Amino acid sequence: MGTVVSIDLADALPPPALRTMVDDVCAWLHEVDRRFSTYRDDSEVCRFRRREIALAECSTDMRHVLDACADLWRDTDGYFDAYATGPLDPSGYVKGWSVEVASARLAAAGSVHHCVNAGGDIRARGLSGSGAPWRVGIRHPWEADKLSWVLAVSDQAVATSGTYERGDHVFNPRTGKPAQGLRSVTVVGPDLALADAYATAALAMGEPGIAWLAKLAADGYDSAVVTDDRRAFSSAGLPAAV
Amino acid sequence: MRRSTAAAVGTLTGAALIIGVRLSVSAPVVPSAAPPVVDLANSGQDADPTPSGTASKKPTTKPTTKPAEDADDDAADEGNDDASGEAGGSGLTDGIFKGAAAKNVYGSIQVSIKVENGKITAADATYPVTGDSATINPPAISTLNEATVKAQSADVDAVSGATFTSESYVKSLQAAIDQANA
Repeated sequence: MGTVVSIDLADALPPPALRTMVDDVCAWLHEVDRRFSTYRDDSEVCRFRRREIALAECSTDMRHVLDACADLWRDTDGYFDAYATGPLDPSGYVKGWSVEVASARLAAAGSVHHCVNAGGDIRARGLSGSGAPWRVGIRHPWEADKLSWVLAVSDQAVATSGTYERGDHVFNPRTGKPAQGLRSVTVVGPDLALADAYATAALAMGEPGIAWLAKLAADGYDSAVVTDDRRAFSSAGLPAAV
Repeated sequence: MRRSTAAAVGTLTGAALIIGVRLSVSAPVVPSAAPPVVDLANSGQDADPTPSGTASKKPTTKPTTKPAEDADDDAADEGNDDASGEAGGSGLTDGIFKGAAAKNVYGSIQVSIKVENGKITAADATYPVTGDSATINPPAISTLNEATVKAQSADVDAVSGATFTSESYVKSLQAAIDQANA
Protein backbone atom coordinates (compact mmCIF):
# COMPACT_ATOMS: atom_id res chain seq x y z
CA MET A 1 0.00 0.00 0.00
CA GLY A 2 2.99 2.28 0.35
CA THR A 3 1.82 3.58 3.69
CA VAL A 4 4.31 4.21 6.45
CA VAL A 5 3.22 3.17 9.91
CA SER A 6 4.61 4.63 13.13
CA ILE A 7 3.95 2.67 16.29
CA ASP A 8 4.56 4.31 19.64
CA LEU A 9 4.16 2.09 22.69
CA ALA A 10 4.35 3.90 26.01
CA ASP A 11 3.67 0.96 28.31
CA ALA A 12 6.05 0.12 31.10
CA LEU A 13 6.58 -3.37 29.74
CA PRO A 14 9.77 -5.28 29.05
CA PRO A 15 11.17 -4.58 25.59
CA PRO A 16 10.72 -8.15 24.31
CA ALA A 17 7.00 -7.91 25.03
CA LEU A 18 6.82 -4.58 23.26
CA ARG A 19 8.67 -5.98 20.29
CA THR A 20 6.24 -8.88 20.05
CA MET A 21 3.37 -6.44 20.01
CA VAL A 22 4.96 -4.40 17.21
CA ASP A 23 5.56 -7.56 15.20
CA ASP A 24 1.91 -8.53 15.65
CA VAL A 25 0.74 -5.16 14.36
CA CYS A 26 2.97 -5.46 11.32
CA ALA A 27 1.72 -8.98 10.63
CA TRP A 28 -1.86 -7.76 10.88
CA LEU A 29 -1.27 -4.88 8.50
CA HIS A 30 0.38 -7.21 5.99
CA GLU A 31 -2.64 -9.52 6.25
CA VAL A 32 -4.91 -6.56 5.54
CA ASP A 33 -2.82 -5.69 2.51
CA ARG A 34 -2.99 -9.23 1.14
CA ARG A 35 -6.74 -9.28 1.52
CA PHE A 36 -7.72 -5.77 0.50
CA SER A 37 -5.08 -4.38 -1.79
CA THR A 38 -6.52 -3.47 -5.16
CA TYR A 39 -2.97 -3.57 -6.52
CA ARG A 40 -2.62 -7.29 -5.90
CA ASP A 41 -4.42 -9.44 -8.44
CA ASP A 42 -4.68 -12.32 -6.01
CA SER A 43 -6.16 -10.30 -3.17
CA GLU A 44 -9.56 -11.27 -1.90
CA VAL A 45 -11.04 -7.96 -2.98
CA CYS A 46 -9.82 -8.43 -6.55
CA ARG A 47 -11.09 -12.00 -6.69
CA PHE A 48 -14.42 -10.79 -5.34
CA ARG A 49 -14.51 -8.07 -7.99
CA ARG A 50 -13.95 -10.63 -10.71
CA ARG A 51 -16.72 -12.73 -9.20
CA GLU A 52 -14.36 -15.61 -8.58
CA ILE A 53 -15.78 -15.88 -5.10
CA ALA A 54 -19.30 -15.22 -3.93
CA LEU A 55 -20.12 -12.99 -0.99
CA ALA A 56 -21.03 -15.99 1.16
CA GLU A 57 -17.56 -17.37 0.54
CA CYS A 58 -15.78 -14.23 1.57
CA SER A 59 -13.89 -13.88 4.80
CA THR A 60 -15.46 -12.42 7.90
CA ASP A 61 -13.33 -9.33 7.54
CA MET A 62 -14.35 -8.82 3.92
CA ARG A 63 -18.02 -9.11 4.76
CA HIS A 64 -17.60 -6.69 7.66
CA VAL A 65 -15.88 -4.17 5.40
CA LEU A 66 -18.57 -4.44 2.75
CA ASP A 67 -21.30 -4.00 5.36
CA ALA A 68 -19.55 -0.98 6.81
CA CYS A 69 -19.11 0.60 3.38
CA ALA A 70 -22.82 0.14 2.69
CA ASP A 71 -23.73 1.80 5.99
CA LEU A 72 -21.36 4.67 5.30
CA TRP A 73 -22.74 5.17 1.82
CA ARG A 74 -26.12 5.63 3.39
CA ASP A 75 -24.98 7.73 6.34
CA THR A 76 -22.98 10.13 4.17
CA ASP A 77 -25.74 10.52 1.61
CA GLY A 78 -23.63 8.82 -1.02
CA TYR A 79 -20.52 10.94 -0.51
CA PHE A 80 -18.62 7.94 0.80
CA ASP A 81 -18.87 5.41 -1.97
CA ALA A 82 -16.81 2.24 -2.27
CA TYR A 83 -17.88 2.07 -5.91
CA ALA A 84 -17.05 5.71 -6.71
CA THR A 85 -14.37 4.77 -9.21
CA GLY A 86 -16.39 1.99 -10.78
CA PRO A 87 -15.15 -1.32 -9.47
CA LEU A 88 -15.37 -2.02 -5.76
CA ASP A 89 -12.62 -0.25 -3.82
CA PRO A 90 -13.12 -0.23 -0.06
CA SER A 91 -9.68 1.27 0.59
CA GLY A 92 -11.14 4.45 2.08
CA TYR A 93 -12.66 2.38 4.85
CA VAL A 94 -9.95 -0.26 5.13
CA LYS A 95 -7.30 2.35 5.79
CA GLY A 96 -8.75 3.55 9.07
CA TRP A 97 -10.30 0.22 10.02
CA SER A 98 -7.01 -1.65 9.83
CA VAL A 99 -5.44 0.73 12.33
CA GLU A 100 -8.50 0.65 14.58
CA VAL A 101 -8.18 -3.13 14.69
CA ALA A 102 -4.43 -2.90 15.20
CA SER A 103 -5.02 -0.75 18.26
CA ALA A 104 -7.63 -3.17 19.56
CA ARG A 105 -5.18 -6.05 19.15
CA LEU A 106 -2.52 -4.10 21.03
CA ALA A 107 -4.98 -3.44 23.83
CA ALA A 108 -5.92 -7.11 23.93
CA ALA A 109 -2.22 -7.98 24.17
CA GLY A 110 -1.83 -5.70 27.17
CA SER A 111 -0.83 -2.32 25.72
CA VAL A 112 -2.82 0.37 27.48
CA HIS A 113 -0.78 3.30 26.27
CA HIS A 114 0.00 3.56 22.59
CA CYS A 115 -0.31 5.69 19.50
CA VAL A 116 -0.39 4.19 16.02
CA ASN A 117 -0.06 6.45 12.98
CA ALA A 118 -0.60 4.92 9.57
CA GLY A 119 -0.22 7.44 6.79
CA GLY A 120 -1.73 10.23 8.86
CA ASP A 121 -4.56 8.20 10.42
CA ILE A 122 -3.98 7.97 14.14
CA ARG A 123 -5.40 5.84 16.91
CA ALA A 124 -4.31 6.73 20.43
CA ARG A 125 -4.91 5.00 23.73
CA GLY A 126 -4.01 6.04 27.26
CA LEU A 127 -1.17 8.46 27.81
CA SER A 128 2.12 9.23 26.14
CA GLY A 129 5.52 8.61 27.69
CA SER A 130 5.31 11.96 29.43
CA GLY A 131 2.22 10.88 31.33
CA ALA A 132 -0.05 13.29 29.52
CA PRO A 133 -2.56 12.72 26.71
CA TRP A 134 -0.99 12.14 23.33
CA ARG A 135 -0.23 15.39 21.56
CA VAL A 136 -1.31 15.09 17.96
CA GLY A 137 -0.61 17.87 15.53
CA ILE A 138 -2.68 18.46 12.41
CA ARG A 139 -0.51 19.17 9.44
CA HIS A 140 -0.85 22.64 8.00
CA PRO A 141 -2.67 22.32 4.67
CA TRP A 142 -0.13 24.40 2.80
CA GLU A 143 3.12 24.11 4.68
CA ALA A 144 4.38 20.60 5.26
CA ASP A 145 6.59 21.49 8.19
CA LYS A 146 3.94 23.40 10.11
CA LEU A 147 0.86 22.57 12.16
CA SER A 148 -2.54 24.18 12.14
CA TRP A 149 -3.83 22.62 15.37
CA VAL A 150 -2.42 20.60 18.24
CA LEU A 151 -4.81 18.16 19.88
CA ALA A 152 -4.58 16.32 23.18
CA VAL A 153 -6.13 12.88 22.77
CA SER A 154 -6.30 9.89 25.04
CA ASP A 155 -8.61 7.14 23.78
CA GLN A 156 -9.50 8.62 20.43
CA ALA A 157 -8.85 8.44 16.74
CA VAL A 158 -7.71 11.31 14.52
CA ALA A 159 -8.17 11.12 10.77
CA THR A 160 -7.40 13.76 8.18
CA SER A 161 -8.47 13.91 4.57
CA GLY A 162 -6.96 16.55 2.33
CA THR A 163 -6.16 17.57 -1.19
CA TYR A 164 -2.62 18.74 -0.55
CA GLU A 165 -0.86 15.40 -0.62
CA ARG A 166 -2.25 13.27 -3.40
CA GLY A 167 -4.05 16.08 -5.19
CA ASP A 168 -7.50 15.52 -6.61
CA HIS A 169 -8.00 11.99 -5.44
CA VAL A 170 -11.37 12.65 -3.85
CA PHE A 171 -14.34 13.16 -6.15
CA ASN A 172 -17.72 14.74 -5.56
CA PRO A 173 -20.23 12.08 -6.67
CA ARG A 174 -22.81 14.72 -7.52
CA THR A 175 -20.62 16.61 -9.97
CA GLY A 176 -18.33 13.80 -11.02
CA LYS A 177 -15.47 16.24 -10.66
CA PRO A 178 -12.72 16.53 -8.08
CA ALA A 179 -13.98 17.83 -4.75
CA GLN A 180 -13.62 21.56 -4.26
CA GLY A 181 -13.96 23.98 -1.40
CA LEU A 182 -12.23 22.20 1.45
CA ARG A 183 -8.49 21.76 1.62
CA SER A 184 -8.24 19.71 4.80
CA VAL A 185 -10.78 17.93 7.00
CA THR A 186 -9.82 16.35 10.32
CA VAL A 187 -12.25 14.25 12.33
CA VAL A 188 -11.64 13.16 15.94
CA GLY A 189 -13.73 10.44 17.54
CA PRO A 190 -13.94 6.98 19.06
CA ASP A 191 -13.58 4.90 15.88
CA LEU A 192 -10.81 5.54 13.34
CA ALA A 193 -12.59 3.78 10.48
CA LEU A 194 -15.61 6.05 10.83
CA ALA A 195 -13.53 9.17 11.46
CA ASP A 196 -11.57 8.48 8.29
CA ALA A 197 -14.68 7.86 6.20
CA TYR A 198 -16.41 10.94 7.58
CA ALA A 199 -13.39 13.11 6.82
CA THR A 200 -13.26 11.82 3.25
CA ALA A 201 -17.01 12.27 2.75
CA ALA A 202 -16.91 15.82 4.08
CA LEU A 203 -14.02 16.65 1.78
CA ALA A 204 -16.06 15.34 -1.14
CA MET A 205 -19.01 17.52 -0.16
CA GLY A 206 -17.07 20.74 -0.35
CA GLU A 207 -18.23 23.66 1.74
CA PRO A 208 -21.58 22.09 2.65
CA GLY A 209 -19.47 19.47 4.38
CA ILE A 210 -18.86 21.94 7.18
CA ALA A 211 -22.51 21.94 8.23
CA TRP A 212 -22.64 18.16 7.81
CA LEU A 213 -19.62 17.72 10.09
CA ALA A 214 -21.23 19.95 12.70
CA LYS A 215 -24.01 17.39 13.10
CA LEU A 216 -21.52 14.62 13.88
CA ALA A 217 -20.53 16.32 17.09
CA ALA A 218 -23.65 14.91 18.72
CA ASP A 219 -22.31 11.40 18.02
CA GLY A 220 -18.95 12.18 19.56
CA TYR A 221 -17.08 13.13 16.40
CA ASP A 222 -15.45 16.54 16.45
CA SER A 223 -13.80 18.18 13.49
CA ALA A 224 -11.38 20.79 12.24
CA VAL A 225 -11.64 22.10 8.70
CA VAL A 226 -9.63 24.41 6.49
CA THR A 227 -11.21 25.71 3.31
CA ASP A 228 -9.47 26.33 0.00
CA ASP A 229 -9.55 30.05 0.77
CA ARG A 230 -7.86 29.62 4.11
CA ARG A 231 -10.79 29.88 6.48
CA ALA A 232 -10.59 27.59 9.50
CA PHE A 233 -13.51 26.01 11.37
CA SER A 234 -13.56 23.71 14.35
CA SER A 235 -16.22 22.15 16.51
CA ALA A 236 -16.64 23.31 20.08
CA GLY A 237 -15.62 19.95 21.48
CA LEU A 238 -12.41 19.58 19.50
CA PRO A 239 -9.81 18.42 22.04
CA ALA A 240 -7.35 21.17 21.36
CA ALA A 241 -4.23 21.16 23.47
CA VAL A 242 -3.81 24.90 23.24
CA MET B 1 10.60 1.12 22.46
CA ARG B 2 9.69 3.48 25.14
CA ARG B 3 9.67 6.92 23.68
CA SER B 4 10.50 10.19 25.17
CA THR B 5 8.88 13.31 23.99
CA ALA B 6 11.89 15.28 25.19
CA ALA B 7 13.79 14.05 22.17
CA ALA B 8 11.01 15.20 19.90
CA VAL B 9 11.11 18.64 21.42
CA GLY B 10 14.83 18.84 20.80
CA THR B 11 14.38 18.17 17.14
CA LEU B 12 11.31 20.22 16.42
CA THR B 13 11.34 23.38 18.45
CA GLY B 14 11.88 26.47 16.49
CA ALA B 15 9.99 29.40 15.15
CA ALA B 16 9.73 27.68 11.81
CA LEU B 17 7.07 25.40 13.17
CA ILE B 18 4.71 28.13 14.26
CA ILE B 19 1.78 28.46 11.96
CA GLY B 20 -1.21 30.43 11.37
CA VAL B 21 -4.34 29.81 9.50
CA ARG B 22 -6.10 33.11 9.67
CA LEU B 23 -9.73 33.19 9.38
CA SER B 24 -11.62 36.33 8.65
CA VAL B 25 -15.14 35.27 7.85
CA SER B 26 -18.05 36.74 9.70
CA ALA B 27 -20.80 34.35 10.51
CA PRO B 28 -23.87 34.71 8.34
CA VAL B 29 -26.38 37.05 9.89
CA VAL B 30 -29.74 35.48 10.61
CA PRO B 31 -32.42 38.11 10.59
CA SER B 32 -34.30 37.74 13.80
CA ALA B 33 -36.54 40.79 13.78
CA ALA B 34 -40.25 40.26 14.19
CA PRO B 35 -42.27 40.74 11.06
CA PRO B 36 -43.11 44.42 10.54
CA VAL B 37 -46.38 45.51 12.05
CA VAL B 38 -48.87 46.65 9.49
CA ASP B 39 -50.59 49.79 10.58
CA LEU B 40 -53.27 51.10 8.28
CA ALA B 41 -54.48 53.74 10.71
CA ASN B 42 -52.39 56.41 9.07
CA SER B 43 -55.05 58.98 9.29
CA GLY B 44 -55.15 58.77 13.02
CA GLN B 45 -58.74 57.58 12.96
CA ASP B 46 -60.09 54.11 13.01
CA ALA B 47 -57.15 52.95 15.03
CA ASP B 48 -59.48 50.72 17.01
CA PRO B 49 -59.86 47.40 15.23
CA THR B 50 -63.43 47.02 16.36
CA PRO B 51 -65.82 48.73 14.01
CA SER B 52 -67.48 51.85 15.27
CA GLY B 53 -70.82 52.84 13.90
CA THR B 54 -70.48 56.54 14.55
CA ALA B 55 -67.04 56.85 12.99
CA SER B 56 -68.24 55.60 9.71
CA LYS B 57 -70.64 58.47 9.38
CA LYS B 58 -67.96 61.13 9.36
CA PRO B 59 -67.59 63.07 6.18
CA THR B 60 -64.78 61.89 3.95
CA THR B 61 -62.43 64.75 4.49
CA LYS B 62 -59.60 62.54 5.54
CA PRO B 63 -57.30 61.40 2.78
CA THR B 64 -57.99 57.95 1.67
CA THR B 65 -55.14 55.64 1.11
CA LYS B 66 -54.90 54.01 -2.26
CA PRO B 67 -57.58 51.43 -2.62
CA ALA B 68 -56.29 47.96 -3.05
CA GLU B 69 -58.84 46.70 -5.46
CA ASP B 70 -57.27 43.37 -6.00
CA ALA B 71 -57.44 42.63 -2.36
CA ASP B 72 -61.10 43.35 -2.21
CA ASP B 73 -62.35 39.91 -2.96
CA ASP B 74 -60.02 38.06 -0.66
CA ALA B 75 -59.76 40.57 2.12
CA ALA B 76 -63.46 41.11 2.23
CA ASP B 77 -64.01 37.59 3.43
CA GLU B 78 -61.34 37.79 6.07
CA GLY B 79 -62.19 41.17 7.45
CA ASN B 80 -65.89 40.97 7.31
CA ASP B 81 -66.66 40.00 10.86
CA ASP B 82 -69.71 42.08 11.06
CA ALA B 83 -72.06 42.03 8.15
CA SER B 84 -74.04 44.97 9.32
CA GLY B 85 -72.94 47.79 7.07
CA GLU B 86 -73.44 51.32 8.10
CA ALA B 87 -72.66 53.51 5.19
CA GLY B 88 -72.00 52.24 1.73
CA GLY B 89 -73.81 49.49 0.01
CA SER B 90 -71.17 46.80 0.05
CA GLY B 91 -72.07 45.71 3.51
CA LEU B 92 -68.59 46.21 4.93
CA THR B 93 -68.21 47.75 8.32
CA ASP B 94 -65.72 50.55 8.52
CA GLY B 95 -62.58 50.04 10.45
CA ILE B 96 -59.31 48.18 10.27
CA PHE B 97 -59.50 44.44 10.26
CA LYS B 98 -56.83 41.84 10.57
CA GLY B 99 -57.31 38.44 9.08
CA ALA B 100 -56.27 35.28 10.82
CA ALA B 101 -52.56 34.73 10.49
CA ALA B 102 -51.82 32.02 7.97
CA LYS B 103 -48.75 29.94 8.63
CA ASN B 104 -46.69 28.26 6.03
CA VAL B 105 -43.19 26.86 6.01
CA TYR B 106 -41.67 30.27 5.61
CA GLY B 107 -43.42 31.99 8.48
CA SER B 108 -46.79 33.53 9.13
CA ILE B 109 -48.63 35.97 6.93
CA GLN B 110 -51.37 38.23 8.10
CA VAL B 111 -53.49 40.50 5.98
CA SER B 112 -55.01 43.72 7.23
CA ILE B 113 -57.61 45.80 5.45
CA LYS B 114 -58.98 49.22 6.08
CA VAL B 115 -62.57 49.88 5.33
CA GLU B 116 -63.86 53.39 4.88
CA ASN B 117 -67.35 54.20 3.87
CA GLY B 118 -68.02 50.60 3.30
CA LYS B 119 -65.17 50.28 0.84
CA ILE B 120 -61.78 48.73 1.29
CA THR B 121 -59.39 51.58 0.91
CA ALA B 122 -56.20 49.93 1.96
CA ALA B 123 -54.79 46.48 2.39
CA ASP B 124 -51.44 45.19 3.40
CA ALA B 125 -49.85 42.05 4.68
CA THR B 126 -47.06 41.09 6.96
CA TYR B 127 -44.47 38.85 5.47
CA PRO B 128 -41.96 36.42 6.95
CA VAL B 129 -38.46 37.80 7.47
CA THR B 130 -36.71 34.57 8.23
CA GLY B 131 -36.84 32.03 5.48
CA ASP B 132 -36.46 28.38 6.22
CA SER B 133 -33.05 28.20 4.69
CA ALA B 134 -31.79 31.06 6.79
CA THR B 135 -32.49 29.17 9.97
CA ILE B 136 -31.09 25.78 9.09
CA ASN B 137 -27.52 26.52 8.27
CA PRO B 138 -26.41 29.09 10.81
CA PRO B 139 -27.21 26.92 13.84
CA ALA B 140 -25.31 24.04 12.26
CA ILE B 141 -22.35 26.21 11.41
CA SER B 142 -22.43 27.90 14.76
CA THR B 143 -21.54 24.62 16.41
CA LEU B 144 -18.54 24.35 14.16
CA ASN B 145 -16.96 27.52 15.34
CA GLU B 146 -14.58 29.60 13.42
CA ALA B 147 -11.17 29.18 14.85
CA THR B 148 -8.38 31.60 15.04
CA VAL B 149 -5.57 29.16 15.03
CA LYS B 150 -3.07 30.13 17.64
CA ALA B 151 0.57 29.60 17.21
CA GLN B 152 1.29 26.01 18.11
CA SER B 153 4.34 24.72 19.82
CA ALA B 154 6.17 21.95 18.11
CA ASP B 155 5.90 19.56 21.00
CA VAL B 156 3.83 16.80 19.43
CA ASP B 157 3.95 13.03 19.53
CA ALA B 158 2.40 12.46 16.13
CA VAL B 159 1.10 14.33 13.10
CA SER B 160 -2.21 13.72 11.39
CA GLY B 161 -2.41 14.76 7.79
CA ALA B 162 -3.74 13.67 4.45
CA THR B 163 -2.41 10.23 3.60
CA PHE B 164 1.19 10.77 2.71
CA THR B 165 3.07 8.78 0.19
CA SER B 166 6.28 7.05 1.15
CA GLU B 167 8.20 9.81 -0.54
CA SER B 168 6.59 12.68 1.27
CA TYR B 169 6.79 10.82 4.56
CA VAL B 170 10.54 11.06 4.40
CA LYS B 171 10.35 14.82 4.54
CA SER B 172 7.48 14.97 6.97
CA LEU B 173 7.24 16.03 10.56
CA GLN B 174 6.20 12.53 11.48
CA ALA B 175 9.48 11.20 10.13
CA ALA B 176 11.39 13.73 12.19
CA ILE B 177 9.51 12.61 15.27
CA ASP B 178 10.15 8.97 14.53
CA GLN B 179 13.85 9.53 13.94
CA ALA B 180 14.19 11.51 17.11
CA ASN B 181 12.62 8.72 19.10
CA ALA B 182 14.21 5.75 17.44
